Amino acid sequence: MVAYTGFRAFRNILTACLLLTATQAAADIWEEGDIEAGQALFNANCASCHKVTNEVLAAPGLAGIADRWGATDELLIQWIQNPQGAAESGDKYIKSLVDRYVPTYGWMTAQAVSPDDIKNIMAYVQNPPDAAPVADAGSDCVTVDDLPIADTSDTRSTWFLMLLVLFLIIAMAAAGVNRSLTNAAREKDGDDLLEDAPYGVRIRNWTWDNRVAVSLIGMFFLAYGAVLGYQGLMRVGVVEGYKPNQPVKFIHSVHVCENEVDCKYCHHSAYESKHAGIPSTNVCMNCHKAVKKGRRYGETEIAKIYDAIGFDPTSGTYVDGSGKNGYTSPQDTYDGEPIRWNKVHNLPDHVFFSHQQHVVVGGLQCQNCHGDVETYTVGRVAEVEDINQLVDKYPGLIELSKPTLTMGWCIECHNKAEIDLASSGYYEEIHHRLKDNLRGNEELRKYMEDDKITVKELGGWECAKCHY
Amino acid sequence: MAAGSVPSAIIKHQSRTPYRSHMANTKRYWSGLDELRETEAFKTIQGQEFPEAQSVDEFLTDERLESTHTGRRDFLKFMGFGLTAATLAACETPVVKSIPYTNKPEEVTPGVANHYASTYYDGHDFVNVLVKTREGRPIFIKSNTETGYGRVNARVNASVISLYDSARLDGPQIGGEASDWATVDAAVSNVMQGEGRKVLLTNTVLSPSALRAIAQSGLEHIQYDAIDYGAFRAAAEADFGVNSFPSYRLEEAEAVVTIGADFLGSFADNVIYGERWAAMRKPESGKMSRVHAFETNMSLTGSNADHRTMVKPSEQGRVATALLAMVTGQGTAGQLSEEANKAVALAAKDLKRAGSKGLVMAGANDLAMQRVVNAINAALGAVGTTVSYDEMTLFQGSSSSLKQLTSDMTAGAVEVLIIADCNPAYDAPNAAAFAKALSAMKHTVSTSTVADETASLCKVIAPTHHWLESWGDLQIEADRIDLVQPTISPLHNTRPWGESLVRWSGVNQDWYTYVRSTHASDYTSDAMYTNAAWNKAVHNGFIGVDVMPGQAVTFAGTGTSQAISELNGRKGGAVELALYQKTTMGAGQHAANPMLQETPDPLTKVTWDNYVTMAHSDVDAMGLNGFIGQEKPASLVKVTVAGTSMELPVFPMPGQAPGTIGIALGYGRGGNGENIGKAAFQTGENGSFETDSDGKPTPVGKNVFPWTAQSGDFTDYSQYDVTVEATGETYPLACTQIQNTFMGRESIVKETDFSSYFAERDAKKGKASWNELITLAVHEDVTGDGAIDAQDGKPTSAFDLWHEHPVEEVGHRWGMTIDLTSCTGCSACVTACHIENNVPVVGKDEVRRHRDMHWMRIDRFFASDYSLERGEEEGTSVIGSYRKMEDPSANPQTVHMPMMCQHCNHAPCETVCPVAATTHSNEGLNQMTYNRCIGTRYCANNCPYKVRRFNWFNYPGYKKFANFNPAQDSLMRMVLNPDVTVRSRGVMEKCSMCVQRIQSGKLDAKKAGTPVPDGSVVTACAEACPTHAISFGDLNDKSAGVRAISENNRAYHALEEIGVKPNIFYMTKVRNVEPNQA
Repeated sequence: MVAYTGFRAFRNILTACLLLTATQAAADIWEEGDIEAGQALFNANCASCHKVTNEVLAAPGLAGIADRWGATDELLIQWIQNPQGAAESGDKYIKSLVDRYVPTYGWMTAQAVSPDDIKNIMAYVQNPPDAAPVADAGSDCVTVDDLPIADTSDTRSTWFLMLLVLFLIIAMAAAGVNRSLTNAAREKDGDDLLEDAPYGVRIRNWTWDNRVAVSLIGMFFLAYGAVLGYQGLMRVGVVEGYKPNQPVKFIHSVHVCENEVDCKYCHHSAYESKHAGIPSTNVCMNCHKAVKKGRRYGETEIAKIYDAIGFDPTSGTYVDGSGKNGYTSPQDTYDGEPIRWNKVHNLPDHVFFSHQQHVVVGGLQCQNCHGDVETYTVGRVAEVEDINQLVDKYPGLIELSKPTLTMGWCIECHNKAEIDLASSGYYEEIHHRLKDNLRGNEELRKYMEDDKITVKELGGWECAKCHY
Repeated sequence: MAAGSVPSAIIKHQSRTPYRSHMANTKRYWSGLDELRETEAFKTIQGQEFPEAQSVDEFLTDERLESTHTGRRDFLKFMGFGLTAATLAACETPVVKSIPYTNKPEEVTPGVANHYASTYYDGHDFVNVLVKTREGRPIFIKSNTETGYGRVNARVNASVISLYDSARLDGPQIGGEASDWATVDAAVSNVMQGEGRKVLLTNTVLSPSALRAIAQSGLEHIQYDAIDYGAFRAAAEADFGVNSFPSYRLEEAEAVVTIGADFLGSFADNVIYGERWAAMRKPESGKMSRVHAFETNMSLTGSNADHRTMVKPSEQGRVATALLAMVTGQGTAGQLSEEANKAVALAAKDLKRAGSKGLVMAGANDLAMQRVVNAINAALGAVGTTVSYDEMTLFQGSSSSLKQLTSDMTAGAVEVLIIADCNPAYDAPNAAAFAKALSAMKHTVSTSTVADETASLCKVIAPTHHWLESWGDLQIEADRIDLVQPTISPLHNTRPWGESLVRWSGVNQDWYTYVRSTHASDYTSDAMYTNAAWNKAVHNGFIGVDVMPGQAVTFAGTGTSQAISELNGRKGGAVELALYQKTTMGAGQHAANPMLQETPDPLTKVTWDNYVTMAHSDVDAMGLNGFIGQEKPASLVKVTVAGTSMELPVFPMPGQAPGTIGIALGYGRGGNGENIGKAAFQTGENGSFETDSDGKPTPVGKNVFPWTAQSGDFTDYSQYDVTVEATGETYPLACTQIQNTFMGRESIVKETDFSSYFAERDAKKGKASWNELITLAVHEDVTGDGAIDAQDGKPTSAFDLWHEHPVEEVGHRWGMTIDLTSCTGCSACVTACHIENNVPVVGKDEVRRHRDMHWMRIDRFFASDYSLERGEEEGTSVIGSYRKMEDPSANPQTVHMPMMCQHCNHAPCETVCPVAATTHSNEGLNQMTYNRCIGTRYCANNCPYKVRRFNWFNYPGYKKFANFNPAQDSLMRMVLNPDVTVRSRGVMEKCSMCVQRIQSGKLDAKKAGTPVPDGSVVTACAEACPTHAISFGDLNDKSAGVRAISENNRAYHALEEIGVKPNIFYMTKVRNVEPNQA
């Protein structure tokens, strides 16, 4: 099938253009690159497998690559854009790389980066940020060793309740004993016995005797109960902190913080679709073809993705439906059971939320809604208080008060988030329409009363924005 | 405490010691008279705790225990517990699974739609399409307007549902038992190698690969079409020497005369005629074609014609001869009524004026008729300009070959019969004889996707792919080969019938390879995606083929006189029958498609049935019901044709020629209870199938294919002598529109004739006499003439009852324009809207109660002879006049008016909603928020356009809808659009102007950093409209097409006087009638 969008054709043309420019740009591949641009590119494309140090992640570290590289610059570009193609060139150095690394790590995925991009990446690789801050950042990470073995659920209140009940029973029993003893003493003394009324009657009598105090206390409890009840009802449908167990014990902090994998490396469809998506298993395999053992769970958890996609870790190759081994890419005939993740962020069906709109157009950071995922183990719905605390770490983050994933939270943000009308051609056109006529001017003046234009003012509070 | 007056019997039995009240010690209470009298029985049980001891074993073995049932109190306890548990459970967030791909296909991104170019062909309609898929599921079909041939009609649009029909066979069958392909292949190859005559029966095959496979197989190939057009080809062969179906170029024609050819409805290559016809119906261009229609039934073409004349089927031939005589002076004119003669003269005058730009079409599959039509077209010089014969491959079927085959089969002269892409046991003129011969044969193979009327009689069923699952190639014209590409993996264990044929011929090749090697001889499967030329062809949907320019054809002219005398000699009977196809049902291929069954017929507005259409005068003469409504069922009549009778309901139809009846083909599928799909059968009020006395489900409608006539080599669709008898019984019809006329409310539909339009075509908007601005009288001197009088009106735009929504010229203002001049009423927009927006199918019973959920409807208004002026002249009271204006004329002019939410800027619905569930957006949309709606229905009551629909039932769950609602079928629900909520019971719903498309269009623009380009956001209805009558866009965008149209002097708002300021504009209908005939 060929997508009508013409994506494939477009990409072919793009690649062809890139190859044309390759020779011109290649001459000075090691010089004049933009380090900052390189860093962004590196993080987006390379960081999942390579480090800029000597450390081996899912592929060799790149420190000293400029000195090490033993083939031509053109071949380096080809090696990145099409590794198998470069290997066919027959270059000795490339062959040595293939012999040395491919059996362990597998082939590198061909990267859609231009020679200019590569120049920038190389600039960054040669001038990595200071080692010290990296180490600091590393120490911020929740390492697997810090993690608790199992989730301890909050059972204190249960114990407290049980103790309370036990205490009540003992107290009543003691009262009964006390009473019997008193009666025995009275009988002995020849006094009247205590009136033998059921507990209910006695409590009622006591209540009546102390009615003022009881009413006051009662009213207090009633009010307290009402408040609690109201709060409880307000929490219905609030899923803050929801953290379901997952079939694979995937640890975000290891991937995001320790290994610096960018969010969009796995959740790339956040930029293309309304769904951020759970990465397909073949994305996992980009790294886990090489990384076959985890520090905490060893091979058991990683084996689950191998089972799903049909990968044989001993030979480092894929299996097909008939059990035949030796493929370099996943086989569609392999009938593996896909991994059934538990969805963490559940919006009701009548809500249409688009990641693309928020991330690409709105320019929001993932942390704005999902919190500091790099400190998480399993994915969870971030609490709004936790997100608010990130404001120093992630400038531009919008502080909110309503619980996350509630409509109040959404519209609060739409009321606070600003739109820069000069930011794109789309908003410029909207701005023109507002400026160019009387009625628009009036509207614009209303918008600008607080000196900013919010998402709400351009329709962000309208029902059909999200409900249709 | 208890007072002393408590009767003793109430005291509980268990308290055997009488209870003494400490407040009334003097009184004693007994638990019964036994105690009071201290009987023996009382004494014996007095000391026992359990009066009648019963062991546990005895208790458990007691048979009465089986019959004990839960009492009321228990029930209440369980209910209470259940309610509490459910409430508590509802507070818990359910765990939702999310399952990503293991190995994600490159072009699929969850949440992003892909479009694939493909081609639809079902033996009748041929159209290039784009298929929209989401996560690998096809969910919507639209025209491929960039490179394509034709525009989708309602049937093509809705055909996406048939992919998910659960009646489809999930694998090959032998003798009704499930089998596998190896067994089937072995069995069929075996008989194919044997002795005897081996025949392949198909509809017209347009696929070069399939034709190659047929040639390779050595089978004798016989083609027939469900709707036979053989006479057209035979006439072309005789008169022009070309065996081709004519290509009618309506975009060139200035005068069109159609004699029973419903080219805007279901005639022949209808998917292309509408767009071509509309190209000549643009009054702004200063030129408009004029259409004269001579027809029996009221058809879409007739309702859109400028002049329409009612003729009986037997008279149609004489209309043709009269026309020929008047245009050329050749031959003898047929005898016609005075009125018809006048109309023919007028048509002839227009044809002569148009000359080579004139065009005559006839719908009858009648050789003599087509030869006379050819003679007229040739005499006009139209051949080569408005009609051409350039090897169009459609309709090669021959019904005489099928007839011959049937008799050969009966005689045992056919050994093997393979049937592909056709259903002769249902739609052949001699279906019963064919079915009988077929079931007697030993070696029969069907490739049908469902066990339909024919397949269920075959020994082997080797089911083929649905077209959305299969590769394929099709050639309709010489210069291109259109490609079919799969848009989903096959849902079942099926195989394209071409591949089956190839394999049965001993070639072991898959269909894709076979198709590719048809077009590239050096193709190898290693090169699957590498061939750039092929990939481009698949992307565009076709392969261009170099052809030599066609030779001009010349008219031979022999045999015309014989044809004339044949036509003039035709004798009609008292009641004549004209069979026709509905635009929704066609020849019946889509009978199991609930969306099409519920799309109202554009003219009768009846859903879920076929019926007899009859002129009002005939209905009254027979004493049948003349008005059909919820409590007014239709009368059943017994129609007898050539010895066979059927009972059908009667629908009184304005415009039906008196003395004729019309009945739609394509109904009554699955007459023997074949499993062709649930929606093909009638469902009763409780949701189960209606059954006949044998327990077989009753099909929707009656099959009238047996009433087609075999005249000579061709199938004829009219009968000249039928009898109709009243039975005295009634039958309910589900009709979505009751009002036939708009009763003089001229602010709904504005209409003028072309010359009046032309005279004032430069008038400013609101000034022309045919579209005057509606003003409201005010008590102030607006005109400044010093007097306050009737002239002192202000336009409705000057009044604001409510605060104005700032949408004009601010931000976006989404709006729509609908040109009533080019809207034909074809209903493609209706089905497109309903598929795009998951509009529930509610079934006949609910439609009958006017609970149809249609977000979009097409109001069909007939003109009335009566008017207030006439009433005044005749001295009728005003009320009486209005009452008379309800009745349409016998041959009325017709207006089709698409009606959906008008998205009023002063929406009356918004102000009455108690919970603000319907609100106005600053982009001009009237928004409906289902999750806020509590279903008071105030909005629906307050809507002047009656476009709001209340969701009465849980359509995706309630058993009443189980047999036809797509959301109730685990497979068919795959067709639902994931971008639109499936609404639940108790909410109001309505047209949202496809807000999901607006939002995604805006997002695309924001991502690209550009203003929203005009045309990038388009609603489903506008996209589907074959004549481009509906336009959609941003009214605030100065460059938008829709803005220019809204500023045109023909643009107006429906019911402008009520001042609701809609964002939908209608364009005054211009009819190109002779001024004195208007």
